[in-house]
Amino acid sequence: MSVNHYLPHVFVLPEDDANSRLADGFHDEVEWTRYRQMQVLRVAGGRERVLELFKAQHVKGMDRFTKRFVVLLTDFDGDEDWLEHARAAIPEHLTDRVFILGSRTNPEALKIALGLGFCEPIGSALAKDCRDDSYTSWAHDLLRHNAVELDRLRDHVRPILFQS
Amino acid sequence: MGELVKPKDFFLGRIDAPMRFEVEVKLGDHIYKYIIAFEFPEGFKELRVFEEGFAVDGKPFYTREGAQVSLARAGGEKEAQFRIDWHLVALPIVQEQSSKDPLSIFKQWLAQMLILRPIPSLILGESKEETLQPNIQVNDFAAWFSGLLAHAPAAYNDIYAHLKQVMPDLSDIKNPVIGTDSRSLRVTFSNDQGGNVTPPFEDLSDGEKCFMICAVVIAANKAYGPVLCFWDEPDNYLALSEVGHFVLALRKAFQSGGQFIATSHNPEAIPRFSEESTLVLDRKSHLEPTLVRPVSDLQTSGDLVSALIRGDLEL
Repeated sequence: MSVNHYLPHVFVLPEDDANSRLADGFHDEVEWTRYRQMQVLRVAGGRERVLELFKAQHVKGMDRFTKRFVVLLTDFDGDEDWLEHARAAIPEHLTDRVFILGSRTNPEALKIALGLGFCEPIGSALAKDCRDDSYTSWAHDLLRHNAVELDRLRDHVRPILFQS
Repeated sequence: MGELVKPKDFFLGRIDAPMRFEVEVKLGDHIYKYIIAFEFPEGFKELRVFEEGFAVDGKPFYTREGAQVSLARAGGEKEAQFRIDWHLVALPIVQEQSSKDPLSIFKQWLAQMLILRPIPSLILGESKEETLQPNIQVNDFAAWFSGLLAHAPAAYNDIYAHLKQVMPDLSDIKNPVIGTDSRSLRVTFSNDQGGNVTPPFEDLSDGEKCFMICAVVIAANKAYGPVLCFWDEPDNYLALSEVGHFVLALRKAFQSGGQFIATSHNPEAIPRFSEESTLVLDRKSHLEPTLVRPVSDLQTSGDLVSALIRGDLEL
C-alpha cells in the first residue's frame, strides 16, 4: 500500500534539502485524513536536475495516473526567466497538472526574511495560507512571483489536501 | 538497582566518575526534573546510588546523598529525613500524597513512556491480560490493545481511522473472548464485491503489524498521554513508499502533545524529521564516546542523505 494512485494525489519534487523541508512543513499542515495523498520525493540535487528527473521519471507516470499532480519546488536564484525555462520542459498535455514554485532567490534568504529560523515553519505557514485561502506568507517579496502558479495550485491541489 | 544498570555500563570501565542520568520534562505548566547518579566503589558487586533528586520548577521535592533522603516540606516545616538501602532507588519509595501530587504526575508519566523496538514475528493476536505498558519488543501487543480499549473504548475509533487510511480494504477489527480468559485479535479485510478475508493475526505481514502498533501509539497518546514514545528504527519492516507517511503520521499525532523520538538509518525516514529536531550521533572509534550534534550545526555538501551515504558527516 502507498499513495492511492487512482485517487487525486500530489507529488512534490524538491530541488534540495531546504526545499524538501519546506515541503515537509507544508505536508505537516495537510488534513489528517488526506496526508497520504501527498508525497515528498527525494531531493533532485539542483534545479536543472529537477527538470531532468521530471522528464525522465514522471512523464510516463503522469500519463498513466491521470489524477497525479506534481509540484516542482526549485530556487529561482533571481533568474526571471526560470519559470518560462522550466515550463518549456513540461510536455504540453501535462501543463495543467504540473506546478513550478519556489523562492525568488533561495529558502535560506526566505528564512532570514521571514525570521522563522528553519524551513519547515515556512512550509507550514504557506500551507496555512493555502488552507485558509489567504495570501499572508505568499505575498512576501521573495514569494509573490509565484502568484499565477499559486492560483492554479489553489484551484487544483487545495481540494485534494484540504477540506473546502 | 541491578536491573537498571550494571558495572559493564560504565564506558570503558571508567568507574572513577559517577554515572549520571537526568530527565527534565514539561508537563502542563510545570517543569519536572529528576536526576540519579550511580557509583561503583571498589569491593562492591553492584552499583549504588550516589545522588538522587526530584524537583518541580526548580524547587527540590526531595534530595538524596548516598543512603540519606531529605524530603522538602512546604512553608516553615522542617524537612524530613530517612535512610534507605543504597542499592534502592528512592523514587518509587517516596510516597505521593494524592494523584495530583507532582511526584505522582511524574511517576505516571514515566510509567506511560513507550520504548519500542518491535519484533513483528513475535507479535501474536492472543492476550490473557491487559496492559498500558507494552514491552520493548511489543510481543504483548494484543494485551496492550485490550488494555487501551478497556481504558478508553473510544480509542477504537482512532485506531480504526488510522488503519483505514493505510489499508483501505480494512473492514473490521475485533478482539473477542475465546475460552475462559483469553482474547484473540481478528482483522478483516473486504472488497467492493462483498469478498472478505480474516487472516490469523500472526499471519499479518511484519509491516502490517507495525501499522497496527503505530495506530495504537497514536490512540494511546490521545487516550492517556501525553506520552513520550521512543521508537528504535520505526522504518523497519516497511515498504519504501510507506516510510515517509509512517513518520509523518506519528509526527502529526504528537504535534498536539507528547513527544516522539526515533532513531533511524533510513534515507526515506531521516529527511522527514525537521532539521531543528534531528541529531546526528557518531563515534570515531570504539575507544571514544559517542558524540551528538544537531544536524543544523553541520555543514554538508549537497543533501543530507547523500552526505550520510558518503559518510561525510564527521562530528
